[in-house]
Amino acid sequence: MRKVLFYLPLVLFLTLALFLLSGLFSNPMERESVTINRALPAFSLPDLMQPDHQWQPELLRGETFLLNVWGTWCPTCNAELSYMTELSQQGVKIVGLYYVLPADPVLGEHFDLAELQADVSNKLQQHGNPYQFNILDVKRSLALDLGVSGAPETFIIDSNGMVRSHHIGDINPQVWRNKLAPVYQQWRQQDGANP
Amino acid sequence: MIAEYGQLALTFALALSVLLAVVPLYGSFSGNQRALLQAKPLAIGLFIFCLLAKLALVHAFLTSDFTVINVATNSSSILPWYYQITASFGSHEGSMLLWILMLAGWTALVAIFSKGLPLLMQGRILGVLGLINIGFIAFSLFMSNPFARSLPFYPVEGMDLNPLLQDFGMIIHPPLLYMGYVGFAVSFAFAIAALIGGKFDSTWARWARPWTLAAWLFLTLGIMFGSWWAYHELGWGGWWFWDPVENASFLPWLVGTALLHSLAVTEKRGTFKSWTVLLALGAFSLSLVGAFLVRSGVLVSVHSFAADPDRGIFLLVFLLLVIGGSLALYASRMTSVRSQARYQLFSREVMLWGNNVFLLTATLVVFLGTLFPLFHKELGLGTISIGEPFFNQMFYYLTIPFALLLGLGPWVRWKQQPVKPLLGPFSLIAVASLILAVGTLAAMQTVQANLALLGLLLGAWVGLSALYELYQRMSQFGSVSKGAFKLHASHYGMTIAHIGFAVLVVGVAMTKTYSVERDVRMQINDSISLAGYKFTLLEVYPLTGPNYGGEAAEITVHNDKGQLLTQLHAEKRFYTIQRTVMTESAVHARLSRDLYVSLGEALPGEAWALRLYVKPFVRWIWLGGLLMALGALVALLDKRYRRSNAGSAGQAAATDKTGAANA
Repeated sequence: MRKVLFYLPLVLFLTLALFLLSGLFSNPMERESVTINRALPAFSLPDLMQPDHQWQPELLRGETFLLNVWGTWCPTCNAELSYMTELSQQGVKIVGLYYVLPADPVLGEHFDLAELQADVSNKLQQHGNPYQFNILDVKRSLALDLGVSGAPETFIIDSNGMVRSHHIGDINPQVWRNKLAPVYQQWRQQDGANP
Repeated sequence: MIAEYGQLALTFALALSVLLAVVPLYGSFSGNQRALLQAKPLAIGLFIFCLLAKLALVHAFLTSDFTVINVATNSSSILPWYYQITASFGSHEGSMLLWILMLAGWTALVAIFSKGLPLLMQGRILGVLGLINIGFIAFSLFMSNPFARSLPFYPVEGMDLNPLLQDFGMIIHPPLLYMGYVGFAVSFAFAIAALIGGKFDSTWARWARPWTLAAWLFLTLGIMFGSWWAYHELGWGGWWFWDPVENASFLPWLVGTALLHSLAVTEKRGTFKSWTVLLALGAFSLSLVGAFLVRSGVLVSVHSFAADPDRGIFLLVFLLLVIGGSLALYASRMTSVRSQARYQLFSREVMLWGNNVFLLTATLVVFLGTLFPLFHKELGLGTISIGEPFFNQMFYYLTIPFALLLGLGPWVRWKQQPVKPLLGPFSLIAVASLILAVGTLAAMQTVQANLALLGLLLGAWVGLSALYELYQRMSQFGSVSKGAFKLHASHYGMTIAHIGFAVLVVGVAMTKTYSVERDVRMQINDSISLAGYKFTLLEVYPLTGPNYGGEAAEITVHNDKGQLLTQLHAEKRFYTIQRTVMTESAVHARLSRDLYVSLGEALPGEAWALRLYVKPFVRWIWLGGLLMALGALVALLDKRYRRSNAGSAGQAAATDKTGAANA
């Protein structure tokens, strides 16, 4: 009995080694996305520049587009503006989802729309404006529903309002070529097929 | 050319490590004296060549030789020189070389300071260390060469060191941590040598104790500095995140702590023999598993190096050989060990057994918490993550009985302890703890039954008991002043380390309970009050550093009487080459509390996001760690460890009392 006990550490270690071996060949960053291949969650949110206009998922149908989560407070978002502007000049439809920074839970939401609009126009003039329009995610509810963990993040939405791809991080030529362009082209081609 | 010399030196080091593994071990099996005598020069030569390789790499960094890939990806010409040196161990390749240098350093130290060991043991121990050296040097040379060149196409400027690593913490944290990790290789080698020889009596334990203490000392300091670094560098005021890599360093620490205590039992009483050997194997094995986890990409962590399955396979095979091999040897040898000693239920043996049970339960908790996501996923059950709440809750339940036991332990005698003589002192300690704990909270005007009260009670219990026990022991020599000189250094070491634990517990409990934080939006001259402190944003201005730009904010802090306490300087840096933003938080530290400010993003309308913290007693956490390390240092100074080298261990033990005067 005692003798068997002395072999226990070895057996436990070998079991662990088996797990480590199989772990080597799987990607720990891989996560099942909760949003891919589902419809865009329901929302009704104002336009950033024309707050009287309310956007709803139905109004976004008809053409595959990129939904880009961003904010002027986020340096990486500012950095990707110029390349995205190039893309939009090539005919890619890009819609902004403006993420309001939750800066101030203590003093109450400090929110001045005019101030924000001026700030956004300023930034877009500086770096380029890739957006057809910007949706203002007032309470960050849409970003929450989409599983956004930070900015910038970009979703590809097809003409039927289905989420087809989710990219965390900035868009640069490499990301676009290798990851986003293939998906975008695939759904763009189907745009005409089923209007 | 220097980089090639470095590679050549490392190649020589590999050859020497092979000789070190083969020659003395051959000598130990064949009884060839001359072969055994080669161990020491080989070990020292191995260290010299590893040092040369390391210097060559540092040279490449200091001269910004961007033809070396490692330099180009981790340094830049505008990086300050002290960070260029630290950049030489900032990457996977470079840190591996540092690891090797430390391992060779320990090997050489064992060779130099083991004159008193029988030649046969020296040969076995150094031979085993040689085997371990082979694995790591081969890994570095063949799988992750730090000297690889990118000729003929090389960049004119490097990619700079990751800004997170451009900090004082980076200069000291990795070397200390690695010294600790690798130091357990020495305990491991002693244990293997004992296994080969088939003798697990108190002799090997006596030899292994100072080395284990030294390794534990470094690991404690390494973990402590890592925690302090994360606190002031990451900008969100946390000091421990239960990140997989932190856990990977905590696991060998827990087992190492258990080993220190178990070695004492084996040395003094000749029991726990098989158990102590297993712990010695376990501490280093967990260091290796930790290295594997960090470098293979199996787990996600902020510390991870870039993943590469080939490297992972190499390391896993190495793990199988070292850990699997040693455990197989253990199983085959440990069949006939019988403990001779007898002890009662209430005895120091049982107290230390309890210590081991709690420390290993903690090890198991951390181990499973870290690896459960991997098990879960590989069994096809999907991804899950285990976070702070699990660990915090488990450690909450473990710490209470552990601290109670720790207060009691040092009072209890070997073999058998009558209960009655302890009743008096312990009622006194209990009452004093209660007064001290409630008194502290009363002074802060918040007496409640909460985590802070519990922490203070446990801390006071452990601390007061340790001090009172020290006083008692001193008095046994006639008078306290006489006893103060008679008492062994290791006894002081133990007392200091136990007080360190008490301080740590108080720090954790107070910080967890009374820390306050606020995310705020501030314009110039705005003031915000938090926990009786008034923070005022004075100004924000642009910043220009050698390899970064950004913004700096000046914040004054007044207390509730309106007195100016300090002016804090917080920065938000933008590192130009790596294009990353870093927060340099500003901290005003006092023993009773930290004031902590980090500067966030610029907001529309000439305002900034700021994060303000008041963290009571947070310094106590690191002070506790420092005291534990100091305890280990003091214990290391114990003359008995050095004198045991002179003669056989048995004699040394017999002359314990009289020998102190001669040494």
